[in-house]
Amino acid sequence: MERQIQKLFWFFAVLFLALIAQLSYVQVWAAPELRTHANNTRAVEREMRVERGSVVSSDGVLLAGNRKEGVYFLRDYPEGALVSPWLGYSSLRYGRSGLERAYNLELAGETDALVVRSYIDLLTGRPHRGADLVLTIDSRVQRAAVDALGGAAGAVVALDPRTGAVLAMTSSPRFDPRTLDDDWASLIEDESRPLVDRAVQGLYPPGSVFKLVVAAAGLEEGVVTPGTMFEDEGSWLAGGYRVSNNDGKVFGQHDFAEALTRSVNTTFAKVGVDLGADTLARYAADFGIGSAPSWRLGGASGSFPAPAGLDTAHVAQASFGQGEVLVTPLQMALVTAGIANGGTVMAPYLVAEVRDYSQTVLEKADPTRVNSPISEATAGEVRDMMVQVVERGTGTAAAISGVEVAGKTGTAQVEGGASHAWFVGFAPADDPVIVVAVLVEHGGSGGGTAAPIARAVLRAALER
Amino acid sequence: MTSRSKELLFLLPAMLLTTIGFAIVFVRQAEAFELSSLAPGAAFLGLFGLLHVARRLVVPAADPYLLPITALLSSLGILMIYRADPRLAAQQAVWLVVGSVAFVIVLVGLRRFERLREYKYLIGLGGIALLVLTMVAGREVYGARLWIRVGPVGFQPPEFAKLFLVVFFAAYLDQVREMLTVSTRRFLGVALPPLRHLGPLITVWGLSLALMIFLKDLGTSLLFFGTLLALIYVATARFFYVVVGTGLFAAGASVLYQIFPHVQLRVGIWLDPWQDPLGGGYQIVQSLFAFAAGGLFGRGLGEGYLHLASGSTIIPALETDFIFSAIGEELGLVGAVAIVLLYLVFVQRGLRVALRSHDDFARLLATGLTAVFGLQAFLILGGVTKLIPLTGITLPFVSYGGSSIVSNFCLLALLLVVSERAAGGDGRGSGGPAGAGAGTRVGSGAGARAGLTVDGRAESV
Repeated sequence: MERQIQKLFWFFAVLFLALIAQLSYVQVWAAPELRTHANNTRAVEREMRVERGSVVSSDGVLLAGNRKEGVYFLRDYPEGALVSPWLGYSSLRYGRSGLERAYNLELAGETDALVVRSYIDLLTGRPHRGADLVLTIDSRVQRAAVDALGGAAGAVVALDPRTGAVLAMTSSPRFDPRTLDDDWASLIEDESRPLVDRAVQGLYPPGSVFKLVVAAAGLEEGVVTPGTMFEDEGSWLAGGYRVSNNDGKVFGQHDFAEALTRSVNTTFAKVGVDLGADTLARYAADFGIGSAPSWRLGGASGSFPAPAGLDTAHVAQASFGQGEVLVTPLQMALVTAGIANGGTVMAPYLVAEVRDYSQTVLEKADPTRVNSPISEATAGEVRDMMVQVVERGTGTAAAISGVEVAGKTGTAQVEGGASHAWFVGFAPADDPVIVVAVLVEHGGSGGGTAAPIARAVLRAALER
Repeated sequence: MTSRSKELLFLLPAMLLTTIGFAIVFVRQAEAFELSSLAPGAAFLGLFGLLHVARRLVVPAADPYLLPITALLSSLGILMIYRADPRLAAQQAVWLVVGSVAFVIVLVGLRRFERLREYKYLIGLGGIALLVLTMVAGREVYGARLWIRVGPVGFQPPEFAKLFLVVFFAAYLDQVREMLTVSTRRFLGVALPPLRHLGPLITVWGLSLALMIFLKDLGTSLLFFGTLLALIYVATARFFYVVVGTGLFAAGASVLYQIFPHVQLRVGIWLDPWQDPLGGGYQIVQSLFAFAAGGLFGRGLGEGYLHLASGSTIIPALETDFIFSAIGEELGLVGAVAIVLLYLVFVQRGLRVALRSHDDFARLLATGLTAVFGLQAFLILGGVTKLIPLTGITLPFVSYGGSSIVSNFCLLALLLVVSERAAGGDGRGSGGPAGAGAGTRVGSGAGARAGLTVDGRAESV
């Protein structure tokens, strides 16, 4: 009988060891997978009990808040799709994007500073909630940009060139965060890609707006002055590649300033070839093309081809923004802001302040210089040339009575479709407070399609 | 150190756990520390202090580890029940007091447990009656018919039937074991006992299957049959019975599997709960999520995520069947393994009592009580961790439930009485000198720890 009792004990020992093995498997080995399992709502539900911080525009309009249902806080977006491309969404089902994702720790109240605070809250009995974001976005400028762009596919970026503060940024088509969970299936299949923020993620050939970089480089390097004379015969042969003007125009005798005003491709090709691939690439990089924005929101880097791979034909092509040059609308806004700000590019930012619920400022944006690719004098020369563009050149549709507007149009040719329409500009020209970049996909001519949109945004910003 | 003082020493961790545990949970909820946060710990201290004194007086030489293990399990249990639902914790506290009273009654009333042998058929019939009562009057809860109502109080007869049947089989097997080991025929080289001796056992096999059919409860059925098989094996030393018994049970179960959809459902959920994670598989899937949330060290007492917005627990029946999932979430793998090991130590101590006993009835009784306790713990622990198909039975001393608490306190008391006898004590009354050490009494006891070989083996268990 003793032997059997001992065997019975070993039988139980085996049973309980199997239990321990199973526990180890579930709690350690398989735990990461189980914690993130699609049916596991624990993390989400836990999060829903914390009142997520709100997001407000600089002029106090609530862009993201919460509505309470029982003990849960559900994310609410009172302005709908107004700022959805970059504000993103915080969905229980589909996670987060945009600022909701980039600032999740602050909004959820989980940054190191807020964790200390939450502990204090616990002791003092106050409810814990996430931090609020105060943006640089001005709802009036934002609305003007959204309305002006309308249903056209494209993007608008408006910022203060002196600080880099983004005043308006939109992308179309976009999504409505209030109905995201229901729309998801159609949103991800939609070929117009409404979940992509074209302003910071969309890569486009810049076309003639890139001439600003070439002009800045040429003037800064002393290759040309605004008064340098050129002869245009309608086309120019560069390394076996025939450069021609838009619509086959022939401009004849003109100076360099006139070349920008009329957007003469042959002249810019000549200046670009004179500068050479290395110098051109350096200026493109100094203006920020090829590097992603430094903010937490991320974005595409754009590209200027490596100088080693550029023969004369490609240099000539790149000089008027065709070929392999790719930029985002935000990058073109920053190039323009560099010129508007006397040659200094400021880092863009969207979040002015992070505040806790007692309105104590936890984090404040500090305008940061990124680079100074050109001198103030050169910037002034480019600006004067850009004023001519709006006064009597390709960009007259951006003119505002009583205010001097500087700008540049772009009509970027794309294979198999109408050209992309570009306009970049700023106002007032002598003391710029607003820079705008507009892109309309397959919009035709920059002066015809993009310039009026830019004008509406500039006006809204100036009228604040 | 005497075994009694040892017990007092080992009771300390349980007291500390309850006191600190409740204090932590209270402070978490009230966000402030109050002196009343220590009250449950103090009450527990008092209760188990009294139990210790009762044991000290009635069965001074009994095993010193069983009561502290019980204290640890029940203190952790009431703590987790409090986390699930504070109102139920208050009721559980009442049940613990009732259980303690039952413990003392059994301890005192059954000091001469040998007399149970004389009433074995009455006890066996009582056990069957309890089960029949459940079959007839039972209400279905979570698909199993285990409850009957007595006035305002829910009552789970199978929890008590298990004790009755263990006592009956221990006594019955003690009587017939000689006959059962007699081999008259050999078949394929295996010695076969006369078939008529299998009769009573086949009757019990039928009872187990009837339980599965009428109570719709695989767990209780498995528990009874497994315990019986263990007893037969120990009584006869014939592995043959285990093979035949397992075969019979497997055959019966597979037939029932074909017939009853709820059995198929249970097994299907066990094989792949992810098929229907919001329906049939919900409980087990959420249980696994809870264990995963706990990880290695757990989220901490009071930090687990146990409730939905509505206030109900995420896992239905958290306070009973799934109490271990909450422990796994709040105390992690470390805490969960500690619980498993506590049950294993309980089983080891229980079987040690069996080994040290001097007569067969005592041995079989201790074995049966320990087996039913260990098997019940394993069935539910394995169920909620998806090691085996889930069956709805309680985790002894930890789960919420009056029947479970009271019956397991009776089981403990009976085991201690047997232990006292095994250790050479005769269960003296309260008048005996408490100072006498266990060792001296053992030496002077009748039969005195018998053969050294038995003792040597006992130590190895």
